[in-house]
Amino acid sequence: MVTELPKTDVVIVGAGWTGLAAAKELADAGQRCVVIERGDWRHDATSFGAPEEHDELKYARRKGHMIDTPIKTLSFRNTSDQTARPIRRLGSFLPGKGLGGAGIHWNGQLWRPLESDLSMRSHYTERYGAAVLEGTNVQDWGVSYDELEPHLDFFDRVCGTAGVAGNLNGEIREGGNPFEGPRSADYPNPPMTPSPPLQRFRDTARAMGYHPFQMPSANVTRAYENPYGAQLHPCTYCGFCERFGCGYFAKADPIICIYDVVKDHENFELRMNSHVLRVETSADGKTATGVRYIDARGREVFQPADTVCLNAYALWNVHLMLVSGLGTPYDPKTGQGTVGRNYAYQTMAAVSVFFDEEVWSNPFMGAGALGMTIDDFNGDNFDHTGLGFVGGGYISANQTNGRPINYQPTPPGTPSWGAEWKRAVRENYLHHVSLACHGSSVAVPQNHLDLDPTYVDDFGQPLLRMTFDFPENDRKMSAYVLSKAEEIARNMDNVRAVGTSNNAAEGQGYSVVPYQTTHNTGGAVIGTDPATSVVNRYGQMWDHHNVFVFGACLFPQNLGYNPTGPLMGLAYWTLEHMKTDYLANPRPLMDA
Amino acid sequence: MPEFSRRAALMQLGAAGLAAMTPGAAISQNPFASFDAKPWAFLTPDEARFLAALSDVLIPQDAFPSASQAGVVDFIDLQLAGPYGKGADLYLQGPFGEATPEQGYQAPYPPATLIREGIARFEASGTRLADLDASGREDVARRLSEGEGVDLGDVPAQTLFDEIWSLVKEGYFADPIYGGNKDYAGWRMVGFPGAHAYYTDFIGRNAPYRAPPRGIAHVPGRSRSASPARGRPAAPIHPATEEG
Amino acid sequence: MRNFRKTAVVLLSLGMGFGVALQAQDFAGGLGNAELERRLGVESVLFNATIKDAPDDDMIELGRLVAMGGAENGGSGMACITCHGVEGHGDGSGAFPRLDGQAGWYLYKQLNDYASGARPNRVMSGIAERLTEPEREAVSAYYAALPAGTFDTARGRIDGTLLQWGGQLAAVGSAEKGIPACVNCHGPQGTGLPPSVPYLAGQYAGYMELQLTLWQDGVRDNDAMNVMEAIARKMSEEDIRAVSEYYARVANPAEMEAIPARELDAPGAQ
Repeated sequence: MVTELPKTDVVIVGAGWTGLAAAKELADAGQRCVVIERGDWRHDATSFGAPEEHDELKYARRKGHMIDTPIKTLSFRNTSDQTARPIRRLGSFLPGKGLGGAGIHWNGQLWRPLESDLSMRSHYTERYGAAVLEGTNVQDWGVSYDELEPHLDFFDRVCGTAGVAGNLNGEIREGGNPFEGPRSADYPNPPMTPSPPLQRFRDTARAMGYHPFQMPSANVTRAYENPYGAQLHPCTYCGFCERFGCGYFAKADPIICIYDVVKDHENFELRMNSHVLRVETSADGKTATGVRYIDARGREVFQPADTVCLNAYALWNVHLMLVSGLGTPYDPKTGQGTVGRNYAYQTMAAVSVFFDEEVWSNPFMGAGALGMTIDDFNGDNFDHTGLGFVGGGYISANQTNGRPINYQPTPPGTPSWGAEWKRAVRENYLHHVSLACHGSSVAVPQNHLDLDPTYVDDFGQPLLRMTFDFPENDRKMSAYVLSKAEEIARNMDNVRAVGTSNNAAEGQGYSVVPYQTTHNTGGAVIGTDPATSVVNRYGQMWDHHNVFVFGACLFPQNLGYNPTGPLMGLAYWTLEHMKTDYLANPRPLMDA
Repeated sequence: MPEFSRRAALMQLGAAGLAAMTPGAAISQNPFASFDAKPWAFLTPDEARFLAALSDVLIPQDAFPSASQAGVVDFIDLQLAGPYGKGADLYLQGPFGEATPEQGYQAPYPPATLIREGIARFEASGTRLADLDASGREDVARRLSEGEGVDLGDVPAQTLFDEIWSLVKEGYFADPIYGGNKDYAGWRMVGFPGAHAYYTDFIGRNAPYRAPPRGIAHVPGRSRSASPARGRPAAPIHPATEEG
Repeated sequence: MRNFRKTAVVLLSLGMGFGVALQAQDFAGGLGNAELERRLGVESVLFNATIKDAPDDDMIELGRLVAMGGAENGGSGMACITCHGVEGHGDGSGAFPRLDGQAGWYLYKQLNDYASGARPNRVMSGIAERLTEPEREAVSAYYAALPAGTFDTARGRIDGTLLQWGGQLAAVGSAEKGIPACVNCHGPQGTGLPPSVPYLAGQYAGYMELQLTLWQDGVRDNDAMNVMEAIARKMSEEDIRAVSEYYARVANPAEMEAIPARELDAPGAQ
């Protein structure tokens, strides 16, 4: 027995960054919005306050803010000839649950794409010839930097981003990232205060001819009012950012930045603890008619809507399309189909820097986006001729936290337990910093998402199945960027040991066990060709014009940056076209 | 002695146990002091002895307490009795089958069962970890960690080791409200000031910051946190003042 | 054992003179040297009182002297104890906060800010300007080393609902108004987070109300990144009164600390 509710204008699946931004923009445009969210209601003031939130066991280890795998998980294998097994316990990436989604437990590292990132195939083809992209599914986004810039800028303002513009309307400025595309305005807030290790990284990198700058941060550095009228407060450097909510109102998140200013809107309705099972389509299959979900009381409900917005986490958006029959599933054998195609990840490596007693890192003081970064080896900011790979990554001395269960730095050669391990942890805890190599990830034909033939979730639906291993291109890229980071570390003063680690090292398969990043991308990518993209350049599905898709699932391949900035730029770009064009005259915005 | 006495469990570690691992240093602090009069929530005394012996190989006593001295076995007991032990964060639907290490935890048990079964199968061979001398214990720990030379049936030795080592680290460094990190032993060791955190004025300074640790349930004005075993404070460690 | 010199000796050696009455107050109400020394043997007290380096006997002694109106530049003409009391208890007028056991670095920063004008206050600016850097540090360490006493700082009866609202703001803040909880930064139960965050528990309601109002009005803005102004601006007059009256009634549990009579040789052992 399915209860059918009165029709609404827009139904939005998921109350994270993109879902709440969509609700705010569309409600203001006169659309009645129903937002459906699977998790609990929560608020920064009442749910994330210190000291209770500063519980490493509960939130960082037991992952209190993350999706519960018994209810929803996916299966995984490295290659198509293996049997996928369920990810029984979260590890490599951590999708969120509840109001605000993963936007609650992010770090706040807020980037924008390089101009060349968005036209990756044409850019590399023009500069190096098409052969460098052989064996990859690298493609252009279909939307340019200039088109996205106003929306990237707006999101910087929503978050109160802290930083120094490196390129202000074409003028290169000291202290910023000289490689970034031109900004129409400076950051709304000044950069964070660098800790002693970050100061040393900056000085050494500069002396080596690189261009260090402070990582753009959505950990706000002073009291700030965003364009929606929301009030944010300055960061306390408490060291509980990623995996935690922020009770200080200092880390921009979807609740304080957007939800608070839309919650009382007459066109806004939020339904919590409601799990969307599928998107229903019309008899002719050309449009969606609404969504079917299990509500908080366990009843099955159908919510009809004129427009459906998919704003779940990247992986769950793809899952929802596959179980709903939206679009054509990708088949890696034939290369046909698009849903599940071009799944990519983030290629992470790190240098561990151990200082002598002269340098106090005090790692417990930190913030999610407290970093000193160089972008000299990201994207195509350096000459790739003869390197045998495309893409790159930023190198960043990050001081995010010193939470002691996870943060146990030991120099190379230390046993992994016992007396020597204990002594090494004690001696190095206050004198250590990590240089992250945050690298891009190309899409290749074999990496993809589809439905698992065996395992089902708590609702009886097949699990999403991930087939992924690091492409050879990314392994080479990662080793290269890591070697540059190691060189910087070895040039720094007061360093007594240097260690390296690389998740994409040659000879080891991608593993879902150690945490890497929650930057899963692709599977429902944006583009201008329906044969290679699920949505057109406006985020509208080719096959169902009243379905709009948001989030990192749109990325044709993953860039060297954290995804929240780029995906929010895309979200506001899509919303602008919905508001100014589509809603008044619903139709495909591009010809297939 | 009543069966639930944690002190009794410790005493059965015997002279070949903890004391032998730290030559010259006597056992000065009862590892189970906080909870001594309380029954185990999940563990049997034999399991507690196994875990005390193994966790003290992983984090032995030096100037700072060993794992069991810091309450790690009490912590593990509570964890295994609670949602974590029952597999609240695990997808446990079958089928279970051949899997690669990259696919992560694939044991057909929640952690509490995994650890109970693992210990039972290990000790079924007739070897009790707590009865071994220091090098014997270290050898067992190494074999478990490498998954070699130990057959525990469908309990993968490495998974068992990883699970226990993960719990030991958690018990040593988690907030004391969970029963471990007694008197902030782990936090004091590294210099972590705890859950109360406000560093805006100090982030840029290259200087030590020696704030005494304060946990979530810190009792103001004291060096202790409220813990599940509220009661008398543990005695400070005075090495070489007592005979074990 | 630390070797505390007699106050009188210091006074003579510095060539300071001040009224006999003040000197009498020292021993009438203040803690003796032995007791202060015992207190500084406790890790948390020592950390609370440490501004740059750990305070030694001389610094505490100088602090005591400054509190009583003695100083290199002839003092301010007004001793701290005149208004804040020799035990640092202040009074309920709203102008004179408690200083006993307050975070030392915080007190020191306030003196510097008074002196520079970063925290405007006609009386305190004049006083602070005339203190040398070491004197500011010493007097801050002195008050920080005193025990935070438990005594009645509340002013009469108050509506229970208002008090409950104050407690709620203190503990969990308000999602509706976007007010983060006080306890986020002000330490366990509002007992302070040294070195930089003062305690609220047991502070006078009148003083706290006044300060929140000054922040709200933008008159006071000397905390790090001025977060208190942002918070105070989200609060109504009633919110401010509620939270101030609430904290005035919270016993500062620092006093619960049993300073051990023995075992002084083991810092941190309690």
